[in-house]
Amino acid sequence: MLIWLILIPVIAAACIGLLRTPGRATALLSAGLTLVLGLCAVLSPTDCGHDCLSSFCGMPLQLSLALPLSRIMLLLTVLVTFAAVLGLKAPDKDAARSWAISALLLSAGATGAFLSDNIIAFYGFHELALIPTFVMIGCYGRGNRRTIAWTATLYLGLASMVLLAGLLILCSEMHAWSFSTLAAAVQAGIEPGSPALIGGLLLLGFGTLVSLFPFHTWAAPAYASAPTPIAMLHAGVLKKFGLYGLFTIAGIFGDKCGALFGCWNNLLLLLLLGNVLWVGYVTVCQTRLDDMLGNSSVMHMGYLFLAFAAFIAGQGHNELALQGAALLMLAHGLSIALLFLLTGQIEAQTRTLELDSMGGLAQKLPYLGFMFGLAGLASVGLPLLANFAGEFTIFVSAFADWVPGSCLTTCDCILSRPFSALSQMLGGLGPVQLTLVFALWGLVISAIYMLRAFRHIFEADVAHASARADKLSLADMVAAAFLALFIVLFGILPPTCL
Amino acid sequence: MIPLAHYLILSGLLFSIGLAGIIIRKNILVVFMCLELMLTAANISLVAFSRAQGTAGLPVYDVQILSLFVTGIAAAEVAIGLALIVALFRARKTVESTALNTLKD
Amino acid sequence: MMQNLPWLFLLLPLLAAALDWVLFSKCSKTAATLSILSAAATLALCVAYLAGLNTGAPDVYTWMPVAEERLSLHLGLLTDPLAMRMMLVVTGIGLLVHIFSLGYMKGDTSNLSRYFAGLSIFMFSMSCIVLADNLAMTFIGWEMVGFSSYLLIGHWYHKASAADAAKKAFITNRVGDFGFLIGILLTLGVFGSMNFADMAGKAAGIPAALLTATVLCLFCGAVGKSAQFPLHVWLPDAMEGPTPVSALIHAATMVAAGVYMLVRLQIAMGHAAFTDTACAVIASVGAITAALAALIATQQDDIKRVLAYSTLSQLGYMVMAVGLLAGEAAMFHLYTHAWFKALLFLGAGAVIVCCHHEQNIWKMGGLAKRMPLTVLCFLMGTCALIAIPGFSGFFSKEAILDAALEHCPVFFWVGAGVAALTTFYMTRLCLVAFCGSARAHGAEQAHEAGASMLLPLLILAVMAIISGYGFIADALVPYAGFEAHGFAVGLPFYVSLGSLGLGLVAALLVYGCGKRSSDPLAGNALSAALRERLYIDEFYDKVLIGGVQAIIAHIIEFIDAAIIRGLCVQGSAWLTSRFGLLLSKLQGGSLRAYTFLSGLGLLVLIILLAFNF
Repeated sequence: MLIWLILIPVIAAACIGLLRTPGRATALLSAGLTLVLGLCAVLSPTDCGHDCLSSFCGMPLQLSLALPLSRIMLLLTVLVTFAAVLGLKAPDKDAARSWAISALLLSAGATGAFLSDNIIAFYGFHELALIPTFVMIGCYGRGNRRTIAWTATLYLGLASMVLLAGLLILCSEMHAWSFSTLAAAVQAGIEPGSPALIGGLLLLGFGTLVSLFPFHTWAAPAYASAPTPIAMLHAGVLKKFGLYGLFTIAGIFGDKCGALFGCWNNLLLLLLLGNVLWVGYVTVCQTRLDDMLGNSSVMHMGYLFLAFAAFIAGQGHNELALQGAALLMLAHGLSIALLFLLTGQIEAQTRTLELDSMGGLAQKLPYLGFMFGLAGLASVGLPLLANFAGEFTIFVSAFADWVPGSCLTTCDCILSRPFSALSQMLGGLGPVQLTLVFALWGLVISAIYMLRAFRHIFEADVAHASARADKLSLADMVAAAFLALFIVLFGILPPTCL
Repeated sequence: MIPLAHYLILSGLLFSIGLAGIIIRKNILVVFMCLELMLTAANISLVAFSRAQGTAGLPVYDVQILSLFVTGIAAAEVAIGLALIVALFRARKTVESTALNTLKD
Repeated sequence: MMQNLPWLFLLLPLLAAALDWVLFSKCSKTAATLSILSAAATLALCVAYLAGLNTGAPDVYTWMPVAEERLSLHLGLLTDPLAMRMMLVVTGIGLLVHIFSLGYMKGDTSNLSRYFAGLSIFMFSMSCIVLADNLAMTFIGWEMVGFSSYLLIGHWYHKASAADAAKKAFITNRVGDFGFLIGILLTLGVFGSMNFADMAGKAAGIPAALLTATVLCLFCGAVGKSAQFPLHVWLPDAMEGPTPVSALIHAATMVAAGVYMLVRLQIAMGHAAFTDTACAVIASVGAITAALAALIATQQDDIKRVLAYSTLSQLGYMVMAVGLLAGEAAMFHLYTHAWFKALLFLGAGAVIVCCHHEQNIWKMGGLAKRMPLTVLCFLMGTCALIAIPGFSGFFSKEAILDAALEHCPVFFWVGAGVAALTTFYMTRLCLVAFCGSARAHGAEQAHEAGASMLLPLLILAVMAIISGYGFIADALVPYAGFEAHGFAVGLPFYVSLGSLGLGLVAALLVYGCGKRSSDPLAGNALSAALRERLYIDEFYDKVLIGGVQAIIAHIIEFIDAAIIRGLCVQGSAWLTSRFGLLLSKLQGGSLRAYTFLSGLGLLVLIILLAFNF
């Protein structure tokens, strides 16, 4: 059954491309079908193990929901795809077709990557999903689109190569080419010959795909430039591929994951502070809404890396970190998708995204103001909205293993030295805990830029640009409400991935 | 009997003349002839080796067959090559190799 | 089933808010009714609990289950006297403010559904703080009150000043929450649990430095929420919101949440957890806030700002009491302050509405004749605030001063000085606004407020008078086993009488009977500094936010754009393409060059092979 989650969008894309069926309607039908199917799959008690076995050119392409994060990611994919297609508003009919095709292929690729058991298919599906992203930015992007598309292409291409190298070494050393056989190999006590190398390559490859500092500069311009549905799907869904991969592999290695990633953990902690604080202040400086949102998405990845670092530091026993990361991935995906959707609507109304030239839009369009406020506050981490559940869980998970004084004698590699000096002063906090203390300042930073954006766009006097605002179409309102509903729902009743 | 070295010196001289011609001459027809010269040099050394390495008064026939094969290929090459040069001349009105560098742009 | 009745404290307002906002956003009357009904229902429930209803411990809802029990995030409710009596203050004043809002917001063109939804969200989140049985849930409520405060301060968001004030309040609170969150996580590490019930007696074996750090980080939360000294700047600006909101959120309940949280922790962790250093810092911050705010209040002209600074200064008293390990006195003052400060704010609201939204006291005057009942209520509140013996404020302030004298006389004298200043600025306010003759058109046309505004005022006035007496305080002060021990006629009594007299006489001498048309104290450097709030706001705006933070942010942005994105990324791309161009020179299209090079290569190869290199 799971194979249909990939086939339906592909078939729909083929219909739009070859049979010239209307873009948006076909895509909507396909997204609706996958939404229903996806929700059934997510809620189904079985993990669809061997029923979904099918082969492709002799390569077993098994799709399953057995991995801990698969369900959550599938849920995220179908929800965001539906909203993206529903809110799709292209400049003309041909553009609508190509936008719809790209959105469908992107979601098919993402679904495939999140459900694949085979590691090469897992990698390949992600590459498939990247192609429409580049094409769409290059053809329909805002601003300096060619340069941005090429930068992103080269960046992600290189990252994928590093990642592929890591995956190939891992698979060949473990003699296992799928996640299930990898798990069996780990169970059987097989250990990779060069774990630190594999861990480093994976971290670099996956990390760049998730815009880990300092490999983050492709992300913000790409999101700012991409057409709305692509920005929603890439920032919301596809970007989570890297973290999904890291958590899945670390989860499979369980208490041996320290061998792979342990030696990189202190470096990772420093880099994620770069994501949260450095990129945070970069975000504060942005004067355009789309640039700001692109950077804010990069910034929030820092907390997900923090969850990963806590998971590694806990030798794979820190299930709260996994739980928090799953929640935050879901929540961040929904909220950033909603924010990009609303950005598209704001631009359609005011024809500008310069923060300084807008104002008072909430008086003209209170609905838009409400939705943007909700999405913005969700990304700031307000309780009762989904992001808070994820962030707070991650914060707690970082302190889960800490007992006062337990971290006073940590390993003495060069990178941990600045940490241990501070740690002595602060009552024996470990590197993860100390990093968290600094990273929490990101909560203040995100409040600063998000509220400032809200203040500039929606509050105070009606500016010239806002004065021409008309009214929203029903589809726009429903698409936004659809995402908002789930942000609230998951904020009150967070789903568990365990 | 003429020693092997003499054949090889002849072959080397012919090869060098051919190579020098290719490097120095501009006319692509001459370049083509020099190319044939180099193939001939190769054939001479092949045949010389076949006699020199022969046992019981018989040459090594494998090598002689190889040289026949080279001659055959050379004939085919001449056919195609001359046709190309004629086509080139019709298209560009020149057979100077220095004028034929538009691919680099 | 019955044991889950307390969950209604959270669910009813939340439901009301959701309905107000989603279903009745166009129908403000229904929205208002719903909110008032939910506030009334929670008040009734609260009264029932205080009257002795006992339904047993409510169920605990596991929000985020994990294998290790101590890390699972639970939502649970406490129904102990501390929580329930605090709920009486919250729901009681909440209901009165809801009713008052009906009159106050009449004729307002903004979306009233949003206003009442905001009030209901506030009731929900404040109940969440009060009833929380663990710090995680406290934090949820903590953030949500911040949000409702943001929403309500910015209710008139079309005014730039209101929008800015709302933003400032939220961000300043976030700075405090940054510390609070660290404190919560440290507590989890140090005490092994975030649950209040599990903290008891665990402070014994912990190093003092760590305990100090934990308590001070938690205190950061209170500094933000209760607007203590370095982070006090948001509260006066928050007066941009509608006045009933100021009464409920920024005077009576939310700003007191910090004090409530500290007292709750003091009880849960035990006094041993509050090390001497931590206590000294807490008490000093409280004393500094009390003194600074009282000084600034003496030169404010806006009636709401005077009251806002007065709130700051009274909160300073409470925090000081917490720092002196006198949680009982702090909660006593919190409780009396809630009633009389809500009264003062609502009274001010009535005055403002009746003077056609005039807030400057120098444009009022002679109001005592035009709206006697309102002014009388306001005077009751003033008497309680300046601690005239017999009024509620007197008993609670006496309790704090007693504690101060016992622990550390410095704080006692600071408290006494602040009391004199309080008397001075409140007397100034009353003389200028209510006596003499009207100085502006609005004040001339003032008239008595309507019933929906007067009724809450009268109820609060009664509470402001009687709530300090033992027979009622013993039953209602939010502190388990509270006993109002009658004051002894000793040093504190004489000192506070002295400071009261001093303040009264000074104000009467300076302002006479309110005949003057401008402040005789204005015009000198000290007055200018006080009017400019001692330049603290300006310092934050210009130096910290506009200076340090903006410069850091721009430097980082520059490095990010120029070095990482420019030099490293675009630079390496440029380098690669340059190198490619260089190599392409080799492929010049010259047949002869190719042949020469390949011949040369062949030669080199032959030589290498022949000579066995």
